[in-house]
Parts: sequence; C-alpha cells; structure tokens
Amino acid sequence: MEAFATFLLNFVYVSAILALVALGLAMVFGLLGVMNMAHGEFVMLGAYSAYVVQTAQISFFWAIPLAIFVSAIFGFLIEWSVIRHLYNRAFDTLLATWGLAILIRKGVEVVFTRDYKSVNQVVPGTVELFGVNYPAYRLILISIIICIFVVLLLWYQRSKVGLRVRAMVQNPGLAAAIGIDIAILSRVTFVIGVSTAGLAGALLAPLVRVEPYIGLDYLLSSFFILVVGGLGSIEGLLIGSTIIGGTDAVISTIFDKTAGYMSVLIISILFLWLRPDGIFYRR
Amino acid sequence: MTEKVLEVDNVSGGYGDLKVVKEISLDVYEGSANGVTGRNGVGKTTFLKLICGALPLLGGHVRLYGRIINRLPSHSLFQLGISYAPQESIVFDGLTVQENLTLHYSSSNLDRYTYVFKKFPRLKDRLQQKAGTLSGGEKKLLSFSRAVSEPTNLVILDEPTEGVQSDNIILMAQVINEEKVKGRSFLIVDQNITFLEAFSDRVHLFDHGEQTYHTDGPNFRNDIEKRILI
Repeated sequence: MEAFATFLLNFVYVSAILALVALGLAMVFGLLGVMNMAHGEFVMLGAYSAYVVQTAQISFFWAIPLAIFVSAIFGFLIEWSVIRHLYNRAFDTLLATWGLAILIRKGVEVVFTRDYKSVNQVVPGTVELFGVNYPAYRLILISIIICIFVVLLLWYQRSKVGLRVRAMVQNPGLAAAIGIDIAILSRVTFVIGVSTAGLAGALLAPLVRVEPYIGLDYLLSSFFILVVGGLGSIEGLLIGSTIIGGTDAVISTIFDKTAGYMSVLIISILFLWLRPDGIFYRR
Repeated sequence: MTEKVLEVDNVSGGYGDLKVVKEISLDVYEGSANGVTGRNGVGKTTFLKLICGALPLLGGHVRLYGRIINRLPSHSLFQLGISYAPQESIVFDGLTVQENLTLHYSSSNLDRYTYVFKKFPRLKDRLQQKAGTLSGGEKKLLSFSRAVSEPTNLVILDEPTEGVQSDNIILMAQVINEEKVKGRSFLIVDQNITFLEAFSDRVHLFDHGEQTYHTDGPNFRNDIEKRILI
C-alpha cells in the first residue's frame, strides 16, 4: 500500500513537471507553429535565475519573478529579431532557433562556466500523505503547477486576449480584417510561452544540477509529449505528459533509468510512425 | 458634390507573378454604394483582397479620404474605418456567435447589434452556439451583421448573399439602404443583380480581371445582362 502511494505520488509529480516544461513549447508550437528548439534554453535560463538569486543571498521567492523577467526579455528580443520574420515557415524557425539555442548556451557558459551549480533545497523535510512521508517541496511544486495551469486555462478560455488568440489561430486573415493586430498578439503569445519555460526552470532548479546543457533534455521530453498527446489542446498536453511521465516512472522503477528512457523513445517512435497527429488533435 | 471616400487608382495584383486584376479604377462616394459583378473567376474577390490589404498590389494606389492605404498592414484598415466581410472563411468556426460578434471590442455587450437582430432574429437565438455549426447562409448573415454594425465609414462585402434565403436577401438590401442614409458607403461584390439593383448607385462589370463596363444610375440591368451573356 505504501509503495503504491509513493508510486502514485511520484507519477503525479513527474507528469506535472513534464506538463509544465512542455506547456511553453505547446503554446509556441501549437498556437504559432514555431518549432522552438531554444525552448530548453529558456528552462535553463530560469534555473540560472534561481542560482543568481541564491548567490545574491535573497529569498528563493525572488527566483520566480526574475526567471519570468529574464525569459520574457530574451523571448521578446528573439521574437522581434528573428521569429516574427519566420511565421508560417516551421522548418526555418527550427533552424533559426537551434542556432539561437547554441548562442544562449555558449553565452551562459561564458558567464557561469560549464561547472555544475547547485541550488539549495528551499523547503526541506517531508510531509505525511496517504501514509507515506513525501518531500514537501515536491508537493508544493505539484500545487503550484496546478495553479499555473488553472490560471492559464482561465486566461485562454475567458479573457479577451485569449479569445483573440484563439480567433487568430483559427483564421488569421479574418482576425486582421476586424482590426486585430496579429503581429502583437503573436509576440505576446510567444513571450508568455517562453516565460512559462523560464518559470519551470526556476521551480526545478533545487532538484537538478544547473549547467548550460540541461535544456536539451527538457526540449526532447517536451517534443515527445507533444508527439504523443497531439498539438493544440490542453487535454493532449496533459495526456502526453502522463503517458511519457508514467512510462518513464514505471519502467525506471522496475528496471533502471536507461530502460525508462528507452521506453519513452520507443513510444514516441511508435506514435510518429502510427499516429503522427497524437492522441488529441485540433482540426 | 459629395466626398470621395475610397479611390481605387489603376490597381493591379494577384498571386505571385500572376496578375489576376489588371489596372482597375473606381471611386466610392460618401453615402453611396458601388456594386461589382461578373462571372466566376474574373478577379472580383482578388480585387477586394487587394483593397483590404489581404494581398499586396502589383501596381496602382488605394486611397481612403485621399490617404494612400495600400502599404498599411491589414489590421490598421479597420481602425481607419473600413469593414470587410470576405467571401470564404467568413467566421471563426470554433467561437460562439456572440464571441464572433464581440471579440474585437473591449466589451462583450451586444447593444450595437440591436438593429440587425431585429432584422435577423435567428442570429440572436443562436448567440451561444458555435459559429461552425451554422449553415452557409447563416454564416453569411453573421458575417454581414458583424461588418455593417462596425463603427466604420466604408463597408466592403464579398458575395454577401451566397447561400442566403431570398427573404433575408431583401432584408440585407434594406439594411444597406438605411446605412447609406446615415452616410456610410458600400463596395459590394455580388452575382445577384436584383440584390445589387436594390441599393447600388454605380455598378462595375469585371471580365478577365478588367473592368469592361461601368454605369451610373439605377437602370443597368439590361446593359449588364446583355454583357454577361456575351
């Protein structure tokens, strides 16, 4: 029973983290059609924001606004300088953002070196839940992630800007004809998308080794999630995260990490082969 | 002399290097309506897309109250006072009828639609329905209602009567005539000559991307029909 509760909590925890990491990519790729290969680098920038906050010896709480600020600024500059010229050219965005990803990694390497940095655990200790002692920070993380999803979902479904984004995605020509500035709206969507990646990086920083290359893993798992779940819906993102996270958790527990990663790869390949649009697909 | 609202001056354009519209000129005056007609595939829709900034011009100018507008991004034309209801992909299928009518305003209330809802009560009944579930004719009514209720001086409509029931076509013509009295101008592409007759001050006939004939005054039916048959 206890083992099962631990497994269940781990499963929810891994899925929640994956969903948060993939959220920004799902927005940028699903809504704007931009293959953002620099997505993981925004997670990395978020993690370094947490490290900077720790170095400055101020409360970890400040890592969150700093990570959002840093990734929003980088996102704005990248959108303005490169991406806005490449909408509707998915393959070109892939090449361009891959180049930008290398640039960001090397830039961070220059400033912080390639050494591993560690961010201290902010909420140490465990909480008893369903008869097991579970790390408190993980539980806090799960609650924060649920809040982020609820807020973004409400924004997307209820707000005027969310409504206009949905209209733009469906029919950009008509949106422009009724006076909606598609260029600005795309920029806002891109910046919000990469900011969620930065936020994810800050929240994950205490749990991982912070180094310039951590983005690659997050980029890959985010793409796997979108391949399995399908583009353009929140259901797809959540289902994809649970399938990828769940498989990894189960196989890793039974065998080892390598087997877990291999099973994720096999699932992704099967989906690309047999069901390339994923489980949920808009249109 | 009434004021010139829209001045289309030798406009050419099309898709890539393919010139679909060749050197067309026409003027739209305040409080008046211009009809454009012709067979399928003669460049009518392309012509409207060129004016509304949905396609780049290959030559000529478009002026709104004397100001050149053909280099402006299409969303800014709405702010300058042009409404446009395209021929295809005319509504946001995934949004409700109410969302379709209000997404470009800061408030979601429907006060500005009181008048068109009286004419087309069917729309009011379907406010919460997804626009994608409407019939083709109902979508056209939704698109028409959205465009004529906007706070603009010039309304450009592309085939507004396509698939619409004949009773509603008569009501659409009534709405246009009432809006004209308020000083608004219209540029309307349609193949229904009776519809154009009901409100047009001028009619232009297109063929092979060129303007082959145009007329002032209401008695154009014979002229146009003769020329379409040729």
